[in-house]
Amino acid sequence: MSLTELAFFALAIVAIATGLLALLVRELVHTILWIGIFFVDLAAIYFLLEAPFLGVLQLGVYAGAVTILLLFGIMVTRKRIFSRDAATGVGALPIALAVVTFIFLIGALGQLPGSAVPAASYSVASLSTLLFNTEAPYLLLLGLVMLAALAGAIYLVREGRE
Amino acid sequence: MSDLGAFTAFVGPFLPELLLLAGALVVFLLDVLEVRRVELNGGIAVAVTAVGLLLVLADLGVAPWAGLALIPAGQIDAVVTPSSAPLYAFTSLGLVFQLFFLISALLVSLGSMSRPSKERGGAVFFGLVLLATLGMMLVGVASDLLFLVLAIEVVSISTYLLVAYTRRDSRSVEAAMKFYIIGALSTVLSLFGVALLFGAFGTTNLYAIEGSAVGAPTLVLLGYGLLVAGLAFKVTLVPFHAWAVDVYDGAPHDVSAFLAGGTKKIGLFAFFLVFIGPILLARWGASFNPLGGPGVPIGPLLQVLLAVLAVVTMTVGNLLALQQKEIKRMLAYSSISQAGYMLIGITVATAPAIAGATLQIFAHVILTTGAFLVVAAVAALGIGARIDDWRGLGVRRPYLGVAFSFMLLGLAGIPLTVGFVSKFVLFGSAIQAEGYFVWLAIAGVLNSAASVFYYARVIKVMFLDTPDPTAPAPRPEAPGLAFQGMGYGRAAAIGLVAVLVVFFGIDPQPMLGLVQSAAQHFVLVGP
Amino acid sequence: MTTLPVGDFLALASGLVAISIFGILTRRNFILLLIALEIGMNAAILSFVYFAAFPQCVTAATCHPLTGQAIAVVVIGLAATEVAVGLAIVLALHRIRGTTNVAEADSLKL
Repeated sequence: MSLTELAFFALAIVAIATGLLALLVRELVHTILWIGIFFVDLAAIYFLLEAPFLGVLQLGVYAGAVTILLLFGIMVTRKRIFSRDAATGVGALPIALAVVTFIFLIGALGQLPGSAVPAASYSVASLSTLLFNTEAPYLLLLGLVMLAALAGAIYLVREGRE
Repeated sequence: MSDLGAFTAFVGPFLPELLLLAGALVVFLLDVLEVRRVELNGGIAVAVTAVGLLLVLADLGVAPWAGLALIPAGQIDAVVTPSSAPLYAFTSLGLVFQLFFLISALLVSLGSMSRPSKERGGAVFFGLVLLATLGMMLVGVASDLLFLVLAIEVVSISTYLLVAYTRRDSRSVEAAMKFYIIGALSTVLSLFGVALLFGAFGTTNLYAIEGSAVGAPTLVLLGYGLLVAGLAFKVTLVPFHAWAVDVYDGAPHDVSAFLAGGTKKIGLFAFFLVFIGPILLARWGASFNPLGGPGVPIGPLLQVLLAVLAVVTMTVGNLLALQQKEIKRMLAYSSISQAGYMLIGITVATAPAIAGATLQIFAHVILTTGAFLVVAAVAALGIGARIDDWRGLGVRRPYLGVAFSFMLLGLAGIPLTVGFVSKFVLFGSAIQAEGYFVWLAIAGVLNSAASVFYYARVIKVMFLDTPDPTAPAPRPEAPGLAFQGMGYGRAAAIGLVAVLVVFFGIDPQPMLGLVQSAAQHFVLVGP
Repeated sequence: MTTLPVGDFLALASGLVAISIFGILTRRNFILLLIALEIGMNAAILSFVYFAAFPQCVTAATCHPLTGQAIAVVVIGLAATEVAVGLAIVLALHRIRGTTNVAEADSLKL
C-alpha cells in the first residue's frame, strides 16, 4: 500500500467519524466543532487528489464561511449558547434505512476496477480558462441562484413593519 | 463590430429570458426606492411574461408572430454531434415547455394583482416569480446535466423563499422550511447521481453521454437511479410525495398555484431530457448499452421503474384525494395523481406518447393554476377552506362557481374539455405501443374514472347544497374590490383559464399540431 | 504520485451520503438538518473532484481533465448559497415561533 493510499484511508476514516459525531453529539456547539474538522479533512483530501485550488476554496468557503454562518445561526436563535437539546432519540427505521443505503452503495460501488490518476497538467490558469470559457454558463446560472437567494433572504430576515 | 455581432448572435435567442431578468431587477429596484404598488409590480410581471410568450410563439413559428423569431431557423432542433456537446440547445419541445411555463407565470402574476396594494412583500413576490420563471425557461433549453441541475436550483431557491414571503404567517414559513429540507435533499441526490454519471462517462453532456458505449455499469445504473429519486421529489411521484401536500396547503394561495401549476413541470421536462434518450436508444438497438456485453440494457430497466412509479403515483394520489375534507389538500393530491398520468408518456416514449404527455402537462398547467387561483379568490372572500364551507358557492358567486366547475371537469377528463383531449391522446398512444404499456393505459383510465367522484362532489356541493344557515357571514380580506369582490386581475386570470379549457377542448388542433411536431423532432434529435 | 483505487474512494463517498440521509431522517433541529445536507453536498463535490482524474473520456473534444474540478467550484458556490437560504428560513421561523426545532414547529398535518 502506497503512502498516498495510506493517507487517504486515514483521512477517510476521520471524515466518516467527524461526520457521524457532528450529528450525534448532544451539544450543538460541539457539532459545529466536528463539522469544522470534517470540512478541513475534506480539504486535505482535495490536496491529496492534486486539486489545490479546490482545497483552498474548501477551506475558505466551508471551513471558514459556512462554519461561521452555522455558528451565527446557533448564536442568534438561542439564549444560552450551550444547551443540550441537539440530539433526540433515534428510531430503528432511519438507522436501518441508512445502513441499507450504505451497504447497497458500497456493495455496488466498492468493487469497481480502475483508479484515478491525478491530472498531469494542473494549473489554476487552465482551470479558470475552462471555468470562464466553455463552462461560463454554469457561472451565469450560479449568479442567478445567488441573486434569488440574496433578494429573498434579505427580505425574509429584515426587520420591518407589516 | 464583429465582437458586437457575435454578442448579439449569442444573446439574441435569450431575449425572453433577459426580459424576465430585467423585469425582476426593476421590481427589486422599485422596492428599494420605496415605490410599492401592487398594480405597478404586477403590471411589470404581466407585461414581461406576455412579451416573452409572444417571442416564444414566434420562435415556434406560430402564424401571426413568426416574423419576430429570434432563434435562427437552423438552430432549433439542430442535429448535435456528441463531440460538439453544447451546454444548451434549442429543441422545439423545450420551446413548447417554455410556453407552458410562461403561461403559468402569466396567470399567477395576473391573478396576484388583486392583493392588497402597498403590501410589503409585493416586490419580492413578483421579483421571485420572474426569477423562478427565468430558471424554468433555462430548464427548457438545457442539454447538460449540470446545467439542468443548476437551472432547477434557480427555480428551487426562488420558490423556497416565495413560500415564506408572508413572513409573519407561521404556517407558510413552516411550509417553506419543509419545502427547503426536501428540496435540498433532492438536490443532494441529483448532484450525487450526476457525479456518478460524470465518473462513468467523463462528461455531463446528455448528447455525449448518449453517444457513448463505454462506461462502468454500476456507476451508470446508480447514477440514473439517484437522478430518478432526486427528480421524483420535484415531480411528487408517490414514495417521494409526502411533502407536497403540506407545502401546497401551507403556502400562500397564489404561490401554491405557481408551485402546483408551474414549477412542478420542470421536473417532468427533466425526466424527458434525461430518461427518454436511453429508452429510445435501447429500442433502436443503438450502441448506448453502458452495461456492456450481454447485460440488461438500461433503457428497458428505466421503463419498468417508471411504469411502476406511474401506476403507484396515480393510484395512491387518487385514493388519498378521495378522503380529503379540505379543498386545497384535495387539489394537491389530485395534482400528485396527475403526475402519474404524465409519467405514462415518458415510460412509453414514442412520439405520440410524448405528444400526449406534453398535452397532458399543458392541460394540467392551466387547470391547476386556475383551480388554485379560484381557491385564492374564495379565501380572499372570507369563505373557509373546507369543502363543506363551499356549499352554495356556485349560486352566490356564479362566476367563480362556473369557472371552477369547468376546471374540475377538465381535471376529470370530461369530453369537450382540454383534459379529455390530452388523456385521449396519451392513453391512445400507450395502447398503440402494445406490450405491458396497455396495462398502463388501463390503469390510467380506471384512475380517471375514480377521480370523477371527488371532482364531481365539489361541483355538487357548490351548486346543489344549500349553505349552512348557522355559519357566520364571510368577511372579505379586502372589501370593495371590483368584480364580485375578486378584483379585475384575478377575475381575468380565472376567466382566461375557463375559456382556454373549453376552447382547446373543442378545437385542440392548434396545440395538438404544435405538440405533435415538437414530439416528432424530439424523438429524432433530442438528447 | 501513485493512484487511488476508485472502489475505496466510492466507499467514502457513499458512506458520507448514508450519514447525510441518516441525519435528515433522524435529526429534528434545523441546524443539524442543514449540517446533514452539507455532508451530502460535500460527498457530491468530492466525487466531482475525484472523477476529474478518472480516466474515462467519451470523446476527446468534450473531455478536459479539469472539467470535474471546474464543476466542483460551481457546486461549492451552490451549496454555500443553499446554507444561506436555509439560515434565512430558520431565522424567520425563530422570530415567529422562538424555536429552531422542526418537530415543535409542526402545525401542519403530517
